[in-house]
Amino acid sequence: MNVSASSKITNLQYILINSGLQVSVFFLALPRILAEQAGTDGWVSLIIGWMITVAASLIVVKIMARYPEGTLLDLLTHYGGKWAGRTAAVCLLLYLFYFGYSCLVQTALITKEWLLPQTSAYMIILLLLIPTYIVAISGIRIIGRYAEIVTLVSLWIPLVYLLPLKEAHWLHLLPIAGEGWQPIGAGVPYSLYCFLGFVSTFIFYPFLQNKSQASMAITVSNSLTLLAHLFVTLVCYVYFSPDEIREYNEPAINVLKIIEFKFIERIEVIFIAFYLLVFSLGWIPALYICAYCTNWLRNTQAERNHVRFFCLLLAIGSFFFIPDFHQNEMIEQIFLRLGILIEYILPIFLLLYVSVHDRFSGRKKA
Amino acid sequence: MRYSSWFFRKKYRTLPQTKAQKQAHTDFIDASLAQNLVVLQSIFTHTPDLIVREFTIKHTGEPAALVYLMGLVDKSSINNNVLKPLQFDTDITDTDGSFRLSIGQILRLNTWPLVENAILQGRSLLFVNGRLETFALDTQGWPQRAIEDPAIEASLKGAHQGFVETGTQNIALIRRYISNRELKMKELTVGLRANSAVSLLYLADVANPEVLQEFEDRIKMLDVDTVINTGELAEYIEDNPYSPFPQFILTERPDAAASQILQGRIVAVLDRSPSVLVGPVTFTSFFQSVDDYSTRWSIATFIRLLRVFAFFIATFLPAFYIAVISYHFEIIPIKLLLTIGEFRGRVPFPPFVEAVIMEITLEMMREAGVRLPAPVGQTVGIVGGIVIGQAIVQAGLINNIMVIVVAFTAIASFILPNYDMVAAIRLIRFAMMIAAAMFGFVGIIIGMMTMIGHLISLESLGTPYTTPFAPMRFADWKDTFIRMPVWKMRKRPLSARPIQSTRQVDNHPEGDGK
Repeated sequence: MNVSASSKITNLQYILINSGLQVSVFFLALPRILAEQAGTDGWVSLIIGWMITVAASLIVVKIMARYPEGTLLDLLTHYGGKWAGRTAAVCLLLYLFYFGYSCLVQTALITKEWLLPQTSAYMIILLLLIPTYIVAISGIRIIGRYAEIVTLVSLWIPLVYLLPLKEAHWLHLLPIAGEGWQPIGAGVPYSLYCFLGFVSTFIFYPFLQNKSQASMAITVSNSLTLLAHLFVTLVCYVYFSPDEIREYNEPAINVLKIIEFKFIERIEVIFIAFYLLVFSLGWIPALYICAYCTNWLRNTQAERNHVRFFCLLLAIGSFFFIPDFHQNEMIEQIFLRLGILIEYILPIFLLLYVSVHDRFSGRKKA
Repeated sequence: MRYSSWFFRKKYRTLPQTKAQKQAHTDFIDASLAQNLVVLQSIFTHTPDLIVREFTIKHTGEPAALVYLMGLVDKSSINNNVLKPLQFDTDITDTDGSFRLSIGQILRLNTWPLVENAILQGRSLLFVNGRLETFALDTQGWPQRAIEDPAIEASLKGAHQGFVETGTQNIALIRRYISNRELKMKELTVGLRANSAVSLLYLADVANPEVLQEFEDRIKMLDVDTVINTGELAEYIEDNPYSPFPQFILTERPDAAASQILQGRIVAVLDRSPSVLVGPVTFTSFFQSVDDYSTRWSIATFIRLLRVFAFFIATFLPAFYIAVISYHFEIIPIKLLLTIGEFRGRVPFPPFVEAVIMEITLEMMREAGVRLPAPVGQTVGIVGGIVIGQAIVQAGLINNIMVIVVAFTAIASFILPNYDMVAAIRLIRFAMMIAAAMFGFVGIIIGMMTMIGHLISLESLGTPYTTPFAPMRFADWKDTFIRMPVWKMRKRPLSARPIQSTRQVDNHPEGDGK
């Protein structure tokens, strides 16, 4: 595959895209999910999850370094033949479409619930597709810039989360591992859930300007994600009591409810609108990768038409079916298992296969 | 392809020509003066301002004719430096057959197209009987305006010289700032019917050759009648003509243009236009003014931050008002809500209509104020002040809060230094208002996302529009929304893609210890 100089992305852009994919919608419900599994020790599982993720993503980089000029699809074609590449393309495509779709649907449902109860979720999805279309159609470089801008304009959000700390009860966090390590272990898979998305490395690696720093970049990216999640989770834990937190569907929003100024009540309404920017980092790169995969499969010139196709598919599809909250929960459950399978387990086998293959063929040559 | 001509417009155009002109254009100049004058008359039919002055050169006794267009020449120069010596001096022919005239430049032309062009450009042509060439004398002198303070880009501490309508003068004004041999020029002509000269000015050892080539190619590709104004030229050559955002800076200040050239950018001077084109530029360039560099850096930074704030106010405030009033009134504290409700209760319109009425009134007043002569313009201000300020509220058509919102918006858009950018913001404000009226905050944010998506995909001469924020270049942050002290800016901005980046060495004043 030929990557032209005009479609390269910087390491920073890559870090932000990846973190954007990982953070996206998932941080809203994360404190509750972790609290349900691991109680107030959920943040420990988060750190463990981060370690696992760093290991897994380093494996991904290791694999990609074997064939630096191509994406996973080219790599698999190189190692396993045409059909291996195609199968991978279809799998990746379906997985990321699922990823993007669940982000989009969740965003639409949250927006409807908090901001526009009168408007149909379908309408909100249509609206969200407008900027999606504009950004995704212009290619990977523009997505990188979008991630940068979104990060810049969202920098003030963490500051606002400091305000609830006035009423923090740090005692809620103690004792650490009070119920043993078993609940923490139970929380780990769920903490992996919020790190899902680094699979994008499989596609974005050849576009990186500086490949030698790829492992550094992905570690930084994962750490950024960890910081964001850890921060929000801790704020929720110290503000809500351990039992209370399970009652809210999205504690990361409810925690903002207490902030009140003389001139503005219910600041969380503004926040959710603003979060749309952050959320959009979830599905825009995902949809672009889908378009990349179909483009690769069909062997056409550019992804543009494929992006159009996916936007249209989402627009038409949502007209007929939009999951409600229960179905959405089911989607998430499936997504979690699928994600762990594809992003954490498969790369290990892939690395094994690739290194065995290299050793074998290397010996043959020698 | 049979239908290709139907799909694609004819690529090359020709101007209508009479038979005599066609013949004349292929011909060289005749030796006979009488024949030449006949051809000249056939080219310039119905041109009463074409003067043909026939006389005899005293020194050689040859019959000759001086031809020029009345308004485009300097009469005293023709009388004193051309006609007088030719008619009365006895020793005037040179050894090479030319004439010793006190005129700066004498061209020798021998074909009719060249002659035609020279006359139209304001040169005077000396035809001599028996010669197969004619002398084009540098006698241009057209009506000119004095160099004045720039009208729309006023500055407190900057120079008070603005560009005028003559390209050569404008170039001279820039050269006064950069008296360096590396300041090079590329002369291009645009326009088939009346070609206008475009000069690209740049520092040869600083400006990026790729950018220069791109700029040049785009101007060369133009096939138009003529380009009247710089804005027109900008629209022809910009990267995305469908965008409301300007992708070139138009400035009428020589100091601003010179400072841009020194940063590594390229300036296009279009003859007959009082503003010049600067490229490549970025979004943040439109929030800077020359005054920023002559005020203290902390104050300049404060003003620049004000402008960024004003940008958001001017774009989003009316939309925010609409969204709050019609969708999210729960975010307003109850006391304030009651006050607003009291005002709103009397108003018969929905918030969106209310906002549109006021914004349209404001825009109309602004336009009226711009076009009207100054004494009448003041009246517009007074009428508008009364209408917007008091009467409309008392009449119960619009509520007080809306008046405040409109006033804020207007002031915010007035402090932005670039007219083109303000115009773009005005347009986007209405789009945001519509989005807010339909979907509240969600509409505003979607509008904002769309705007961001559009901005990041814009380019100016191949340079990303939103640098240094996306793609992020921290080195350039020193002179964007903040202005660091000038001695801190040791490098030229990366957004101009210069090939020589150092602009100064350490000039930081040391203390007593030095």
